[in-house]
Amino acid sequence: MFIINCPYCGEREQSEFKAGGEAHIVRPKQPTELSDDEWAEYLFMRKNIKGVQFERWVHIHGCRKWFNMVRDTSNDQIHAVYKMGEKPPVK
Amino acid sequence: MTKNLRTKASKFIDETTRISFKFDGKVYYGYKGDTLASALIANGIHLVARSFKYHRPRGIMTAGSEEPNAIVQVNGNSAYTEPNVRATEIEIYDGLEASSQNCWPNVNFDIGGINNILSPVLPAGFYYKTFMWPASFWEKYEYFIRKSAGLGKSPTKPDPDIYEHKHIHCDVLVIGGGISGIMAAKTAAENNFKTLLLDEKPHLGGSTIYQNSDFDKINNQSSSTWLENEISKLKDIKNLEIKTRTSVVAYHGYNFLLARENLTDHLPFDKKKNKIRQRLIKIRAKKVIVATGSIERPLIFNNNDRPGIILSSAIKKYSDYYGVICGNENVLFTNNDSAYETAISLFNKGIRVNAIIDIRDKVTSSIVNQAEKLSIKIYNSFTIVDTSGYRRIKNISIMKLSKDGQSVTGSKTQINCDCLGVSGGWTPAVHLFTQSGGKLKFDYDDNVFKPNKYPSDQISIGACNGEFDLDTIIKNFNNNVKTYLGIEKTSYENLNISASKEILKKNIWLLPSNKPIGKTKSFVDFQNDATAKDIKLALREGFRSIEHVKRYTTTGMGTDQGKLGNMHALGIISDTSGVKMSDLGTTTFRPPYTPLTFGTIVGRNVGEFFDIFRKTPMHDWHVKNNAEFENVGQWKRAWYYPKKNESMHDAVQRESKAARDGAGILDASTLGKIDIQGSDASEFLNRVYTNAWSKLAVGKCRYGLMLNEDGMVYDDGVTTRLDENHYIMTTTTGGAATVLGKLEDYLQTEWPELDVYLTSVTDHFATISVCGPHSKKIVKKIIPDLDLSDEKFPHMSFKNAKIGNIKCRVMRISFTGEQSYEINIQANFGKSVWEKCIEAGEEFNITPYGTETMHLLRAEKGFIIVGQDTDATLTPIDLQMDWIVSKKKYDFIGKRSLYRSDTIREDRKQLVGIITEDPKEVLEEGAQIVADVSKKPVEMLGHITSSYFSPNLNKSIALGVVKGGKDMLGKKLFVPMKNKVINVQIADPVFLDKDNKRLNA
Amino acid sequence: MLNYNSPINETKDFNNLKMSEESPIMKLVIRGKKREFISKVGKLLNILLPNEPNTSTVGNNISALWLSPDEWMIHSNDKIDKNNNMYPIEEDLINNIHKINLGAITDVTDQFTMIKMEGSQIYELFSNSCPFNFNDFKKKKGAVTQTIINKIDVIIHNKEINVVNLLVRRSFSSHLWSWLNDGAKRI
Repeated sequence: MFIINCPYCGEREQSEFKAGGEAHIVRPKQPTELSDDEWAEYLFMRKNIKGVQFERWVHIHGCRKWFNMVRDTSNDQIHAVYKMGEKPPVK
Repeated sequence: MTKNLRTKASKFIDETTRISFKFDGKVYYGYKGDTLASALIANGIHLVARSFKYHRPRGIMTAGSEEPNAIVQVNGNSAYTEPNVRATEIEIYDGLEASSQNCWPNVNFDIGGINNILSPVLPAGFYYKTFMWPASFWEKYEYFIRKSAGLGKSPTKPDPDIYEHKHIHCDVLVIGGGISGIMAAKTAAENNFKTLLLDEKPHLGGSTIYQNSDFDKINNQSSSTWLENEISKLKDIKNLEIKTRTSVVAYHGYNFLLARENLTDHLPFDKKKNKIRQRLIKIRAKKVIVATGSIERPLIFNNNDRPGIILSSAIKKYSDYYGVICGNENVLFTNNDSAYETAISLFNKGIRVNAIIDIRDKVTSSIVNQAEKLSIKIYNSFTIVDTSGYRRIKNISIMKLSKDGQSVTGSKTQINCDCLGVSGGWTPAVHLFTQSGGKLKFDYDDNVFKPNKYPSDQISIGACNGEFDLDTIIKNFNNNVKTYLGIEKTSYENLNISASKEILKKNIWLLPSNKPIGKTKSFVDFQNDATAKDIKLALREGFRSIEHVKRYTTTGMGTDQGKLGNMHALGIISDTSGVKMSDLGTTTFRPPYTPLTFGTIVGRNVGEFFDIFRKTPMHDWHVKNNAEFENVGQWKRAWYYPKKNESMHDAVQRESKAARDGAGILDASTLGKIDIQGSDASEFLNRVYTNAWSKLAVGKCRYGLMLNEDGMVYDDGVTTRLDENHYIMTTTTGGAATVLGKLEDYLQTEWPELDVYLTSVTDHFATISVCGPHSKKIVKKIIPDLDLSDEKFPHMSFKNAKIGNIKCRVMRISFTGEQSYEINIQANFGKSVWEKCIEAGEEFNITPYGTETMHLLRAEKGFIIVGQDTDATLTPIDLQMDWIVSKKKYDFIGKRSLYRSDTIREDRKQLVGIITEDPKEVLEEGAQIVADVSKKPVEMLGHITSSYFSPNLNKSIALGVVKGGKDMLGKKLFVPMKNKVINVQIADPVFLDKDNKRLNA
Repeated sequence: MLNYNSPINETKDFNNLKMSEESPIMKLVIRGKKREFISKVGKLLNILLPNEPNTSTVGNNISALWLSPDEWMIHSNDKIDKNNNMYPIEEDLINNIHKINLGAITDVTDQFTMIKMEGSQIYELFSNSCPFNFNDFKKKKGAVTQTIINKIDVIIHNKEINVVNLLVRRSFSSHLWSWLNDGAKRI
């Protein structure tokens, strides 16, 4: 059980949050222009890293805001949290 | 047996309060303060259990939570029963009944003991090897294996006790109330840290509190006197909360820990009543100071498991703390100085110590010298090669150790004893540290694993950090705790310490015998009956990883998690395989440190609180009117309203008929409702629904279908345009929260440029749906001002209205195919409006109907239920709902997926109507649909998703998904059941009123 | 005239803990991102919308609770007329905020049930099913948080020391009420 520093509400227990998968996958602006393979790449392909991973989380039982989080999946250390739209920190 | 083997009064035992308890059906007496173990020993009982595999007689071996043998069933045959309770932990109370486990008919004569004689054919991995072949025999084997597996008996009645959870947030958590923990807690609290101190025992003080050695002194006082004084100061310190009888059972990441606080287990039954038995404490600590001490190791030698063989430190605790004598003829067997403390303490109380067997050469430390002065017979460089005594140890045989310690020489000497104290040195209790993710390093001087790298903000101090003598403990405390807490000084910096120093160390993991190893039984894991021989066999058979050896031999897999023997298992593996201890690593210590009852884990979430549930504003009315309820998501929804002795079928048939013939009324308050506002609201709906929204006029409603990006149907519902930039969306009952979550996700992450706000109003409105040919007249009676004419208020439109002074919204929408009106009013008026509708509808036979009738009515019209007729593998095209998918819109969620190579396949499962050849035959939902029954294997074409007997059509109707079903209209197929094959035909899914005459009437 | 049925409608008195439902209380969720939204709401309501997370402001007639960077709950300080659910404040806000696309105004009067709690044992009771760290919160007048109690979403408003408004979705309120009562009787 982590403690997550919600960029809006501050430090809260993990049970107030929900994970939302890999971060920085942008929905294509013109899906209809894409081939099946390109669309499948967006739709299905996700990294599953042992180590530092960029993730989406939402403070579902709090302010309901989505944000990004940099977490090391091997030891659950959270290296950074940042708001949607903000640039990810450099490793 | 009415013996009372007590030394002179101990101050920890209240000899004025006699307590009676039963063990294996016999009544015994003990004193307040006794554990079951100390009381049994005081009554001369050592044999308390049979071992797991060989059913060997076993006795009490320790005085703490590490006990492997003395685990008992408490209060058997009652609802309060609990298996696998450690006799060394449970405090006795009047009325306690405990019994031995794993033996039949009783612990003194146990049929399973035959396994001990059979043991040559029960080697490690016996079960894996024997019961594998032939595979088809497994079912037969399983019955017998299951019967002989497990120790205690689980309760069969509901747990009558009350449990609770509690969250505690603190600055500093100190685990363990021994000398290190007490100094740490006091120091932290005095420096303004909000501090929590936990200890598993009833009293603080650890092993120091009954220390009586002449060699351990602090400021010229005995260490116990000094510590007692420190403890007495704790109660005046603000910021310090102390909980005893509280075991930390798990240490997770981010300093999240679980502890079990035992509140009533030590109380007699009349005082337990209506009180919380145990509390699961969920702790979040900024800093954690681990002071869990150390556990004495046994020694591994031939037949080292007889009753009466006890850890040397436990003998000392029984005598010094509980005032109980473990034996009248004691022998101690050791590889270190601490057994001498026990010997001297016993000697000073006038208890006989026949000998000390020390595997070391002659030692000259002050404590050993003291033992010599008392003329205790010491055998240096000797080892025990065998023991005898079936129900209690009778004697030991010793022989001289060879120089390398690998074999024995000379002749055997026999020494009589009724109690053998063993001490193989000390193992730091690093379990919690490793649970938290900490890494250990091996210390070759002390042969122990010590904490190395801390994974979170924590520190280990004292014996659990491998500090075993008093001056090291205090010196390190001052340095480490000061740095850790960032404080200037501690109040322990000028203490005057004197302590006896151990000067000679020797460690042999597996002590040799004069017999070959194959003929010995040197137990490593006492609870699981794993011997040194088993471990060596596993290595011979090629197991190398410590984790594999553990599973193959079951070493360390009991309820005690191998607290005693794990180190020896590693040592034997290391010695045999030649791999260094530091390279071998340890097995993973998993939570819980000591077992937890399910009651504690569940807490108050039992009975009415098993799960949370939601009620609609009309819930009480449904209850009063005999409704049966159905769980839909977290909601309790009225399912049907049986009258008198009506069956569910009859009730649903009656309700369904009334809704079409007269009037029906449904509580639809559970539907998700999302208030959508903003200048881009229409554009937003265009993007999330498959159909177009921009041209929907204010005051109109539209059905929408929502997809996932993969093109599969996700949710559906009617959305109403209340105003230019204001919509109200309804979702399915179960989908409400996830739909809102998904929409927020898109708004915040993909389309932040859209000016749209979403707010849930599900609970704000009570939703009352009145349907049927008379619905208009009923609504008119309630809202006379409202123009309900079809011209002014056609199907799929909305009006603001008022009932009395109370504003509400009325939508003319229908899920039944009947003309129907949905009144949405502020929830606190819902029940009142509902009652008014019932009253107004009485003359038209208005009938309340539940979810079952709703499902039936919509199936007659071929309307889908997302989640029943769909299962996240169906596109709108598969549902034959092409009409709702906009061709003109450039994009919406899931659009691109609708023409992936897989989604355009012609042979996908498609939703169709299904009718049976025999109109009375009602299909089972989930039944398979096939084209050819004789073909083997039978090819499944699809399955039934919804099926009912329609009272309005007087025939059976069903919906189902069938491969390529779209083009099969009229085709005859089969539904094979257990005893018959049902002939069916593909039909149009709209069974009733295809032209929507009833809707618009 | 319609009858008014609030979900709890009772008062409970325990050792150092009193609980009752406060109803009817007008409640609105107001949402907006623009600076103009905040200033206009402030003027219309004569209240400063709190922009610091987890805080609230209390005006003469209404209170405003911070819920998220673009979301606030405002509620009447006193009980309102049971027989009228047309609120002048709501109408003002709709006309001056929603109609000109400055933000959203949503009536949530019955979306949330307000439970008023008084006494020194409030946070002791919360601690048995709420993971939130109340150590500083309970000492801070006006603090607000959204969190979970026994897995039910709640808004907790520390109005005064030892006086709390607990807001919960109406459909969960009777279950939460029983849960709180069950816990309170052993405190």
